[in-house]
Amino acid sequence: MSTVLEQIEQQIAKLSSKAVRKNTGVIRTVADGVAKIDGLSDVMYNEMVSFPGGAIGIALNLEQDEVGCVVLGDVSRLKEGDEVQTTGKLLSVPVGKGLLGRVVDALGAPVDGKGPITATESYPVEKIAPGIVVRKSVSQPLFTGIMAIDSMIPIGRGQRELIIGDRGTGKTTIAIDTIINQAKINKVGLASGDPKFRPVYSIYVAVGQKNSNIVRTIGALEAAGALEYTVIVAAPAADNPANQYLAPYSGAAIGEWFMENGMDALIVYDDLSKHAVAYRQISLILKRPSGREAYPGDVFYLHSRLLERSARLDGKGSLTALPIIETLAGDVSAYIPTNVISITDGQIFLETDLFNQGIRPAVSVGLSVSRVGSSAQIKATKQVGGKLKGELAQFRELAAFAQFGSDLDAKTKSQLDRGSRIVELFKQPAFNPIPIEQQVVTLWAMQKGFYDSLDLKGVTAASVALREFFATRKDAVLAEIRTKAALDKDLEEKIKGGVEEWKASFSA
Amino acid sequence: MTKQDQQLARQLFSLSLVGGNLSTEHVGAVLQYLEKHPPARPVAVLRAYQRLVRAEYAKGQAVIEHAGPIADSLVQSIATLMARRYGRPVSGVARDNPGLLAGLRVRVGDDVYESSVAQQLAGLSL
Repeated sequence: MSTVLEQIEQQIAKLSSKAVRKNTGVIRTVADGVAKIDGLSDVMYNEMVSFPGGAIGIALNLEQDEVGCVVLGDVSRLKEGDEVQTTGKLLSVPVGKGLLGRVVDALGAPVDGKGPITATESYPVEKIAPGIVVRKSVSQPLFTGIMAIDSMIPIGRGQRELIIGDRGTGKTTIAIDTIINQAKINKVGLASGDPKFRPVYSIYVAVGQKNSNIVRTIGALEAAGALEYTVIVAAPAADNPANQYLAPYSGAAIGEWFMENGMDALIVYDDLSKHAVAYRQISLILKRPSGREAYPGDVFYLHSRLLERSARLDGKGSLTALPIIETLAGDVSAYIPTNVISITDGQIFLETDLFNQGIRPAVSVGLSVSRVGSSAQIKATKQVGGKLKGELAQFRELAAFAQFGSDLDAKTKSQLDRGSRIVELFKQPAFNPIPIEQQVVTLWAMQKGFYDSLDLKGVTAASVALREFFATRKDAVLAEIRTKAALDKDLEEKIKGGVEEWKASFSA
Repeated sequence: MTKQDQQLARQLFSLSLVGGNLSTEHVGAVLQYLEKHPPARPVAVLRAYQRLVRAEYAKGQAVIEHAGPIADSLVQSIATLMARRYGRPVSGVARDNPGLLAGLRVRVGDDVYESSVAQQLAGLSL
């Protein structure tokens, strides 16, 4: 009843005879989604302006005689001389749990045909990143479910870890795997009823991608049961550059809501190279001075202000960012890649050569790094995988030398053999994240030499069989690893017993 | 239009102001000067200059759109009110606009003050 009364009250307010003041302007030119407007003397930077026909624009260039606005919507109906009005509002998007499982556009409007979104709050798209005082250092792990990453390049809640590589090297797959793994952990954690469990909600921002790719991603998430914990912000290649420019900020606003309300969230920006290209297009049309590779001078700020919004807040939640950058011919020293590398807390570098050799995920261990380091790892992973990075680096060095000569001493041969086994062990199919407790068992068996007697090509299959054995028959041991998060003598004995039991059955 | 044309138009416009207000004599003098010394792109410069003068001129004029008859005294009182509000001389100009159905719309420069039935109906349709 009260809602009905409020609606009538609003209607009365609309009919009130009080004069309304509007600041107006007139369109001088419209080109490529950018309108130049005379007037609008009171407009604020980044303010929403209203065009005839319901289209919305954002004032991006406030010049002496004119205002440059990007139009978010259909520009085909706009013409010279049309009146434009200020709204007095900054652009904002709906936020909250009502968006989970939904696909929205850069303005937060649903595009999945599942009806309107039930969101009671909205957050501004552009927001100043949290300051120094409110932040807390990253110390809680965020498991990707990818063994090579969780053991050697760990990611923490609130961290910004760049995924970088050429096209077709599996960048999106790593991000999707991570989202799927969060959903799996959420399901187990929420079912356990542990009051301390903190679920991670995911936001996937697709910028400048083909619609078919976005559909495939949605399908993969849906098939893995991860969509219910995920919000997808889509600004496909067919969208205008203004929407592509805004989408990551809208996604960040959606993620900030989770962070500000004491929850943990993960945001994937796929990808920031296309985002920079969209911004370059807008800037060139706005006639802003161009710099290196025709990008505007503030292209660094474009990404730094976005990625700085990811943080772990003291007494609140966290927002972890996985930005993706596409390189050309493995050139990480290009303009946008170096910018984003310097902003983030580490990078996962994917190599085409490794991918073509069948090493998937094609993570280059030498070039990948996590600046947060082992503080974002559980003790059990440190215990079983602490030396892995060094061992693999040594293997790569020796492998390069081994190509030139056949006379190798026994020690070198054993190091090469071990390295090849580690490489085989880290091979993992797409959309199949491995729970951390299973990773611990797999790596423990490797450290203790349980795969040494096996044929090199059989290592991957053996590790899969080991994990299946533990998942079906040693669930209690896995649960103990999960809860203790560290290996003591007693637990190691249990793992040893389990692995020996598996070895006997596997060999037989 | 180039940046140079815009800059020249802005310089000419500043020469057309006396004490912050547009001077008819100065505008005439600027036009005479341009006739004698035409710039590289005279049409572009004149267009830019015209736009600036028009915007400045609109700031000193309250265009009062109305549906139905309006008393001269009301036009005068609105002009006085606007002059007080903006702290500059504002003259009132009445224009009949049946599209408003009833009420008034006053435009001073970029600002529009509206209290009309047409506006309220538009609000209801949103």
